[in-house]
Amino acid sequence: MATQTGTVAPKATSLQMLRLQHVWRRKGERLLIYVLLLLVALMALLPLMWAFAASLTPNAKVFEYAFPFSLRALFPVEFTLEAYEALFARGFGDALKNSFWLAGVTVVLGGTINALAGFAFARFEFRGKRILFLTVILLPFLVPVDLTAIPRFILVNTLDWRNTWQALIVPGLGNSLAIFLFRQFFEEIPQDLIDAARVDGASWMRLFYNVVLPLSRPVLITAALFLFLQQWDAYFWPLLVAPRPELRLVQVAISSAVEEHRTRWNEQLAGSMLAAIVPILLLLPFQRYYIQAVTSSGLKD
Amino acid sequence: MTGRERYIPYLFLLPALALIIIFNLFPTIATLIESLHGNSLVRGGRVFVGLGNFNRVLNDPVFWKSMQVTGLFSILVNPIQVALALGLALLANSKVRGITVFRSIYLLPVAVSINVTTVVWGLMLNSEGGLINGILNLVGIERQPFLISPSHALWSIIILATWKGVPLWTLFFLAGLQGIPQTVLEAARIDGAGRWQSFRFVTLPLLRGVLLFVLVADTVANFLLFAPVLLLTRGGPQLSTNLVMYETYRRGFVYGDLGVSSAMLSLMLLLVFAVIGVQFTLLRRRA
Repeated sequence: MATQTGTVAPKATSLQMLRLQHVWRRKGERLLIYVLLLLVALMALLPLMWAFAASLTPNAKVFEYAFPFSLRALFPVEFTLEAYEALFARGFGDALKNSFWLAGVTVVLGGTINALAGFAFARFEFRGKRILFLTVILLPFLVPVDLTAIPRFILVNTLDWRNTWQALIVPGLGNSLAIFLFRQFFEEIPQDLIDAARVDGASWMRLFYNVVLPLSRPVLITAALFLFLQQWDAYFWPLLVAPRPELRLVQVAISSAVEEHRTRWNEQLAGSMLAAIVPILLLLPFQRYYIQAVTSSGLKD
Repeated sequence: MTGRERYIPYLFLLPALALIIIFNLFPTIATLIESLHGNSLVRGGRVFVGLGNFNRVLNDPVFWKSMQVTGLFSILVNPIQVALALGLALLANSKVRGITVFRSIYLLPVAVSINVTTVVWGLMLNSEGGLINGILNLVGIERQPFLISPSHALWSIIILATWKGVPLWTLFFLAGLQGIPQTVLEAARIDGAGRWQSFRFVTLPLLRGVLLFVLVADTVANFLLFAPVLLLTRGGPQLSTNLVMYETYRRGFVYGDLGVSSAMLSLMLLLVFAVIGVQFTLLRRRA
């Protein structure tokens, strides 16, 4: 009897210990995951937190707590809006306005024409479809636009478009990726819906506006986000074709703040924060749509 | 489709396709043609010079130096970014509470433009009193001359490009990981595969397509990196950050030599296509 309990008891404890070990190991693992998640989050956030705090700090104190580092570097040292005021006094507001205008026009016009093209590739059979898709959509998609900027620059000069809105808007309207996105989405629309509208005698244009577009909210948001951000981030091209101050865009304004006022650090950071906050506020609520736009560029075949 | 109807798809295509042909397709071909022309000193305007520009480019030590810098940069930055992005995707794919908050935070560098990244990191990497030196100082490392020393400057560009780039490529890996059926991983576990084994023999092979895409896209994206060099180092010190994209800009738009610049861009175009071609052949052969 005594020997029996003697053998059973340790068995029970070892089983319990195994279970306990398992639970602890899972807890430990979870803890490790959280530590890593937090560490990466800190790396993502730290530059933005410091930049934001420093943009609200008098210029002379921008580096005050950065070296040697103390946590106070992540909070404004002596809260002031002087950097933002100086920035707007030198016309940064116009750059923001210009970028909003450029991005907005591109979303409306570019969104429309790319949706039309995507619809044609998704729902029509026509001669030359495959070859057009390969040469006019796929090939330009693979060629980085910055590598072909010189002839585009010469072309724009020949058209006498230098320092005009056209030079900024028109080359960015036709967009292969947006056409991909629209084509992919429109292919999924049930044929019945289209047939029904056709039987009712709707023209293709009416069908596109009254039947197809109302169904396409997700892809419209995705394409709009993508086109907006592309123009908001535009730098190299505007730098070449539109140096006139009245056409200055936000990314160019940041770079000229760096070049013309090398030591006004808080102003450089204030401009950066204003340029960053717009895409952040657009991306966070719509991240699902944005990720869709980005990742589908990798799933093109 | 009959009569008038036949033209309808072409009408839908016309605006977008015309613009792409004029502003994308034509400039691609014209870059190659432009590279065969040069400025005429006698008559003014452009004259055909055959392979003269290429001859000048290929005999130009500054160009070769910039190719060398670009090569070194590519060999370092691409593996670093791809490995970190894959690791971060595995981490962000953990099924723990609050993970969506973390994912949103990781999205922030994607939203921030390269110019903003450059300005913020440029000041953080300040060799006198920058935040990074401040943090290094906490752990007893002396001040580093990040942007002003030839041995440090390229690494500084790598660091800021990585902060901005990794979260973007993570999105692709995350999408890939979420596309792997849970049943496949469970089957591997039932067969007794450990964590490393199921990653090595199940997850990684299933991610091969994504991995290849990210490798190509990342290589091309870093090949085109321009703003950090223009804003922070202007190619220096001692040409140590003179990436080829910046060199083409300098030659074309600072010195106005569009022919030589086009010849460089043509070589880069060919290189981009070669990279895409080689990596896709690799994928096909392994498949």
